[in-house]
Amino acid sequence: MEILSSKVFILKVTSMDLKKYNRYPIVLFALSWLALVILPLLVVVMMSFLKTKGIRIKWDWGFYSYMKMIQFGGNDVVFQTIRIGLTVTLINFLIAFPFAFWLAKTLKNISFKLIIFTALTVPFFLSPVSRVIVWRSILGLDGLLNNFFLNIGLVDQPIEWLIFSEFAVHLGLMAQYFPSMVWPLYLSLSLIDDETIEASLDLGAGILRTTIYVILPLALPGVVAGVIFCLVPMLGDAVIPQQMGGGNILTISHSLSNYIGSRSYVLGAAIASIVLLVLIILIIILWFVFKPYGGLGKVFGQMRQ
Amino acid sequence: MALLQKSKPNFRKLLKIAPLILGVLALFFIYFPIFWLILLSFSAEPLTGVPGGWHFDWYIDMVYGADRREGEAFVGDFQLKEPLIKSISIATLTSVLCIISAVLVGRVLPNMKHQGLLLFGFLVPLMVPGIVVGMAMFLFFRIGLGIKMGTWSLALAHFVWAFPFCLLVILVVVSRLDQRVLEAARDLGASKIQTFFQIELPIIKPGIFAAGFFGFLLSFNELPFSIFMRKGDMTLPIYLWIQSGAHNSSVPLIFALSTIITLISMLITYLIVRLGFKNG
Repeated sequence: MEILSSKVFILKVTSMDLKKYNRYPIVLFALSWLALVILPLLVVVMMSFLKTKGIRIKWDWGFYSYMKMIQFGGNDVVFQTIRIGLTVTLINFLIAFPFAFWLAKTLKNISFKLIIFTALTVPFFLSPVSRVIVWRSILGLDGLLNNFFLNIGLVDQPIEWLIFSEFAVHLGLMAQYFPSMVWPLYLSLSLIDDETIEASLDLGAGILRTTIYVILPLALPGVVAGVIFCLVPMLGDAVIPQQMGGGNILTISHSLSNYIGSRSYVLGAAIASIVLLVLIILIIILWFVFKPYGGLGKVFGQMRQ
Repeated sequence: MALLQKSKPNFRKLLKIAPLILGVLALFFIYFPIFWLILLSFSAEPLTGVPGGWHFDWYIDMVYGADRREGEAFVGDFQLKEPLIKSISIATLTSVLCIISAVLVGRVLPNMKHQGLLLFGFLVPLMVPGIVVGMAMFLFFRIGLGIKMGTWSLALAHFVWAFPFCLLVILVVVSRLDQRVLEAARDLGASKIQTFFQIELPIIKPGIFAAGFFGFLLSFNELPFSIFMRKGDMTLPIYLWIQSGAHNSSVPLIFALSTIITLISMLITYLIVRLGFKNG
């Protein structure tokens, strides 16, 4: 008890002393960050409710841009992007969850763990175009796979849907955003006590039951965070739909480029607002999920990379 | 482990293997294209996807221009110098900016009120797609405020993208820093500046290096933000993007260039990760 109180005392003293740190720089920085990043996003949402006349923006509130977007068939693109995003996120979750559990609880070999961590970190820092451009040579009409299939006589004609198709876009997105799903899951799973899982098993629950009623609820913050970091950036991905969809699969990034290119700024703003809406819904879910853990802020403080 | 011991034997085996197979399969889809890219960049006919006929021609073409072998299959117009210099200079600038601001914010943030909300705000670029943030910044500055885009806006966009990563790296290092050491230094009469430069800085140095390299790499390979935030500036990723979208004949050269970029990025990332794990 005495040790504990002395520790608390030290913590108190340090935190009090640290309050003397000059806090103006960070406040200044936070304010400029607000002006540089957050404010533009809010302005975009605001702009999506404005009207344009020619290329000039009029201060006339309403759902003009959204109606216009539906008129142009832009909503099909939005729904298609969200559908592809949800499918890939689900596939990634189904693969990443057991993998992350294995990584957090079963794998004890440190150097093997290190290799996998490195393998999961490196892709964040690679050039996106460089990573996917080679798929064309692998999946293309006269590419590696089709050559191989033709040679062994599996097909008499090259398979067309391998590249520049929805299949290819799914494949590319899956590979690109897999690490974003694994990291949050791994973090939340490694925080679960082994004893909790053991207790559930000892008390007679099977593996499936333990997973659904014990592990999954405890890992829920990681699940939602994983969906946020995987699904939302995926919705705006520009490289993979272009490289692997080849213009056949239109996504939100295409629409954004088109609308901004043709100076229909409010339409671009409308599409961006839809992406932000998806993010906000997920964040609200995350907020409620994190409540029993002492709030979003505390858990965010524990997040690492 | 416990999970596996309690279940039936054959099911147990499957459970033990399945996650590993799934994960390795996913990693395979990440790394196979990179591996294949490297192989094809040394091959005679990269477009068929079949490696073989090893040579370095694409690399030589990339440097000296493909025109030197007139009449041969691939004659592309490949201008690397300008984008390369632009990318490196913007990446260096971003890296320096990231180090300064991440250290500034990272060491004070854990002691701030509303730190969760602040961190959440700083991590917004990780959650919102780059193209959306880039477009929002473009609309805000160009259309809203009427400021012309230029190299400054490109560098700014890269900074916005790279800063959250660097901040997280610094936060990890700072959270491992024993505050009592700083306390001791102050008690023994060191000034604030002395404490920072002689005690705190050496301890968080690996984090600073890591943040700097991450900032450089993230900016060097950044594409989505750049799409709207540039004005005529050609960075390497944008150049690659335009070239690869054009369906022209310089694809083999793109392979060679991508291989070099990828290998350098991998090497740097590996060094940082090793640096990170060495220090705990």
